[in-house]
Amino acid sequence: MTLRLRAVAAILLILWGGWFASPADAGDLKNTIRDLYGSQGMLLEPTPLPFFTQESRFQASSLQGLDQLNNQLTSAIGVPSFNSSVAGFTFDIERGIPERTTESLGPLLTERATTLGARKLDITFTYTRVNFTKLQGKDLKNLELVFLRDDANGNGIRDTTGPFSFESDSIRAKLSVDLTEDIFALIGTYGLTSEWDVGFVVPITHIRLNATAHAAIFDQFGNPGGTKIGDLPVHRFGPNSTKPDASGGGDKTGLGDIILRTKYNFLRNYDDVIPDLAFLVEMKLPTGDENQLLGTGGTNLTGLLVASKTYWRSFTPHVNLGYEIDTTDTRQNTIRYALGFDARLLSELTFGADVIGRYKPDGSGTGDHIVDLSLGVKWNPIKSLILRGNVQIPLDKNSGLRADFIPTVGIEYIF
Amino acid sequence: MQILTTRTVRLILAACLLGAIVHSSVPAEAARIVALKSADVDVYNEVLEGFTSVSQRSTISEYDMEGDLQRGKQFLARLKSGPKPDLILAIGIWALQVVVEEIRDIPVVFAMVLNPTTVIGHEAHNITGASMNAPIDQQIALLKKISPHVRRIGVIYDPSKTGFLVRQAERIARDQGVRLVTKAITSSKDSFAALDGMQGEIDALWILPDLTVLAPESVQYMLLFSFRNKIPLLGLSENQARMGALLGLSFDSGRDIGIQAGELANEILAGRSVEDIPFTTARKVRLTVNLKTAAKLGLQIPKEILDRADVVIR
Repeated sequence: MTLRLRAVAAILLILWGGWFASPADAGDLKNTIRDLYGSQGMLLEPTPLPFFTQESRFQASSLQGLDQLNNQLTSAIGVPSFNSSVAGFTFDIERGIPERTTESLGPLLTERATTLGARKLDITFTYTRVNFTKLQGKDLKNLELVFLRDDANGNGIRDTTGPFSFESDSIRAKLSVDLTEDIFALIGTYGLTSEWDVGFVVPITHIRLNATAHAAIFDQFGNPGGTKIGDLPVHRFGPNSTKPDASGGGDKTGLGDIILRTKYNFLRNYDDVIPDLAFLVEMKLPTGDENQLLGTGGTNLTGLLVASKTYWRSFTPHVNLGYEIDTTDTRQNTIRYALGFDARLLSELTFGADVIGRYKPDGSGTGDHIVDLSLGVKWNPIKSLILRGNVQIPLDKNSGLRADFIPTVGIEYIF
Repeated sequence: MQILTTRTVRLILAACLLGAIVHSSVPAEAARIVALKSADVDVYNEVLEGFTSVSQRSTISEYDMEGDLQRGKQFLARLKSGPKPDLILAIGIWALQVVVEEIRDIPVVFAMVLNPTTVIGHEAHNITGASMNAPIDQQIALLKKISPHVRRIGVIYDPSKTGFLVRQAERIARDQGVRLVTKAITSSKDSFAALDGMQGEIDALWILPDLTVLAPESVQYMLLFSFRNKIPLLGLSENQARMGALLGLSFDSGRDIGIQAGELANEILAGRSVEDIPFTTARKVRLTVNLKTAAKLGLQIPKEILDRADVVIR
C-alpha cells in the first residue's frame, strides 16, 4: 500500500516537472521599467536652429535612473524558503512501544534539526501570493524619478543663474508599478536514513509586472514647463520626442529556480540541554528564465547550521544561521538567520513564529537587510495529511522590495 | 538373487537421484509471508529489512497498522477471508496483540516485542518470535563483572508485568552465584519505599523493562539511590546511561532482530513445528558505559567491559 502511494507520488512529481518545464512565451519582463521610455531613454523635442539642440540632454540621466529602479525591483524578487514537517511515531526503546509524536509539527518557513525519518517521503504543494507594495519604503504606486540635465557649457556644474540656468531644469517621472508573484511550489523531501534527508523545491511562478509613468519638465524652482527663453521652453516634449506618458509590462508563467537541498542531523538527543544540531546545504539552480523574472539567473549555494530542542514535549525553539553564496555576483552573498519556535497548541495543531533575516554585507544598498516576522499554523486533521497556512510580515518596510504581507497556504502528505 | 537385489537397489537409488534432480530443477513455490507492522517507525523498518535479507525465497507483503489496533484487526479479517499466507510476521507489540486475538491457524513469528509472554497466552501454539529483550544471563554477568563485591542484585518489579522475568532471573542468578533481592510493587509510587527498604541490602541495582517501574519518577529515584549508596545501576538503554546509570544494555539493532525472526520463519517454513521453537532474546546487544558515573561511584571499570562497550560516556 505504502509502495503504491509512493509510486503515485513519484509519477505526480515527474508530471509536475514535465508539465511546467516548457519555456515561457517570448517577451522580456526584466527590462519593463528600463524600457518604459524606449531603449534610448528619454529624448526631448529637437529645438529648431539657431538654438542648441536639447534633444538628448536627459537621455543618460533617464537611462541611469530607470535602469537603477529596474535593477532594484528585479533583483529583489526571490523564492521563499520551504521545508517539511515532522510527524508520525518515534520508538521508546525502554518500553518497547512506538509513541505517537507529541511534538509539534515543525516550523513553516525555517528549519528544525530533526529529519523526516528513514525511507519517508514528504510531498507538499504550496501556494504563495506576493503583492509587492514598497520599494525602500516608497509606495510602488507612487514612485518618483528625477532626471537631471547634463552640463551644457562644460563648466562641470549645473548653472542656476545666468544664461545657462536652464541646466538646472529637471524631468520628474511619476511611476506606478504593479508587481505580483503567484508561486506554486512542489516540495519533496525523502529520508535516506533516519538522520539524512534529501529534497527539492520546484516552483512554478506566475509573475505580473505592469508600470505606467507620466513625465513632466520643471525648472529649478519647481515651476512646470521648465526654463523658457521668451515664450519658448528650452526643454519640451513634442511630436518628435519621447511621449511623456508611457506604460509597459505583462505577465509570464513558467518554471522558477529549482532548489536542491540536503540536511544531515549530526547530533540528536545528546542530553537535556544541548540542542539537536543539523547542517543543511541548499543549491538554487538557474532554471527560471531570468529575463522573464522567473529566476535569478545564477546558481546559489547555501550552508545552514540548524539548532533546535524540544522542551516539555511540545515547545521547540530553533535557530538557523548560514551563508548564501551567489556564484555570479559575490556582492549578493547573504547571511541568513532565523530565530523562532514552534509549539503544539492542540494534539493536531501547531503554531509557529519566527523572525527571519537576510543580510548582504556587500550589498548595493537596496534591501541589504531584510527582516520578516513569520506566523503560521499546521493542522494534522487525519493521519499523514497536514494543512498549513502562514503569513510573512515585514518588520522593516524601508528596506528593499516588500509586500505588506505574504500569505502561504499548503497541503502536505507524508508517505 | 543377490545380483537382482543389488540391481534393484541401484535402480531405486538412480530413481531417487533422478527424482531429486527433477525436483530441485523445478523452483519450489515461494512462501507467502504477510508482514504486519505496528507503526511506521525506523526500527520496525529495519526489522523488515533484516527479515527480508534472510527470506530470499519468500514473497513478503507489508501492511502498516499505523498504530491503530482496529485497523490491524480489519486487515486480519480481510486476510482470513482470502487465501491464507504461509506465515505472518508481526512487527512490534501492537501487531502481536491483534495477531494473538485473531489468528489461530497460521504460523506467526513476532519481532521487536518486549516481554512477549505478557501478550501471548499459553493456549497460543502457533506463535514464536524474536523478542527485543536483552538476555538476562548477560545482564547479571555484566553486573558481576563490574565489581567482585556484587553478590546481591536489587530489583523492583510489578508481578503482573514482569513476574515471569523475575522468576527466570532468580534461577539464572542462583546459577551464577549471586542473589536477587526483589521487591514487588503494584504502583510506581511504591517504588520509593521499595528502594528505601533495600538500603544496605544490595550491591547493585537492575532496572527491568517493566512499565510500572519505568515511570519517570521511579527511574529518577533509582538513579538517586545508585549515587547515594554508591552502587552500580544497570539500565535498559543508552538513554538511561546518559541520564546517570552506570551501564545501559539494550538490543543492538532492529535489523539483527529482524534477521533472528527471519531465521525462525525459515525453520517453520522448512517444516519445523512452531511449538518446538522457543522465543529468542536479542542475539547482539549494545552496551553503554558511563565513566562519569563510575568516577562518582568510585568504581574502576574493568578493561574487558570497556573493550566491549559500544558507547563510552566520558
